[in-house]
Amino acid sequence: MTILYALIVGVAMGALIQRVRASSPAMIAQNLRLENLSIIKFMATTIAVGAILVYLLNLVTPMHFDIKPTYVVGVLLGGLVFGVGFALGGYCPGTCVVGAGEGRKDAFWSIGGGVLGALVFTLVFDALITPLVKMADYGRITLADVLHLPAVGVALGLGALFLGIVYVLPTDVKKKT
Amino acid sequence: MAQPAAHAASDVAQGSTRIPPWAILGGIFGVVSAFSILTWGPIGVSGTYPRFVGAILRRLDPALATGNPYLETMGSLIKPETFLVLGLLIGGFLASRIGPKAPARTEFIHTGETTKGKRYRDAFIGGFLIVFGARIAGGCTSGHIISGITQLSVSGLIFAAGVFATGIMTAKLLHKGGR
Repeated sequence: MTILYALIVGVAMGALIQRVRASSPAMIAQNLRLENLSIIKFMATTIAVGAILVYLLNLVTPMHFDIKPTYVVGVLLGGLVFGVGFALGGYCPGTCVVGAGEGRKDAFWSIGGGVLGALVFTLVFDALITPLVKMADYGRITLADVLHLPAVGVALGLGALFLGIVYVLPTDVKKKT
Repeated sequence: MAQPAAHAASDVAQGSTRIPPWAILGGIFGVVSAFSILTWGPIGVSGTYPRFVGAILRRLDPALATGNPYLETMGSLIKPETFLVLGLLIGGFLASRIGPKAPARTEFIHTGETTKGKRYRDAFIGGFLIVFGARIAGGCTSGHIISGITQLSVSGLIFAAGVFATGIMTAKLLHKGGR
């Protein structure tokens, strides 16, 4: 049953990514150049709606939360490396799979690069990555833990903040200026 | 700059009375993401890459695969995340063939990309870096940014800050080079 739910979520997610044009590397490049903010605003809307829903649902039913550990040095360094690849290729690990489904040839090259990246990563993991993961590790913490506030309140606040930013920011930056 | 131009006006042209497509799609994705956490767990993609590598290595060189501590912790492909990734492939295929058709051609995304060969090269190197970076951090756009921040995780916010810092800088640098 779990597998079926995951498959349904994947199909929906893939269709949404395709429709919003997040699987278009040119669209990603425009967003990272801050010329068009539609994908960034799409992501912020997703996070806002998701955060409010999961923490409200959590009041009435147990949720399958899985908070990733905050090992500051490794998480930040990984993000910095990811950003360079994201801008260069215009794909992230999920959108290139969606792009492959659409029949984009460069998406297959991105998946190939990703598989090679994963292979190299597994080979250097013990020597290079294990020390990074242990550096400044604060464990599985949330904003609610840091702020010492109830999670549902923080979720509502963050959701409202994200939706507010999304509402204020222009989508087509070049047209507005 | 020849290729990407036709689509930029799409949601601006609709005027202020209608909700733009990205807002509707984002709202639906928020519900889908919450459904995922309700039924099995947060969405995440990048972990499937090393699991896929592990599945191949176990066939080619079982001794190397079982001796690798990272492949051992990531486990086999029999996980919900694998089916999520399979779903992405199916979803992308279906959505591109139903309704208004946006033909999936190869787009040049920076001024430096003048041939298809250069686009494939950038996609390949980019693919390497996103998966390598995501595995250092323990998640990617879906696991850290979308479902991470949805769950209010601090790591998701730090990862997002890193991604947009170098992402914006790199995208701007690559584009100015050839202009």
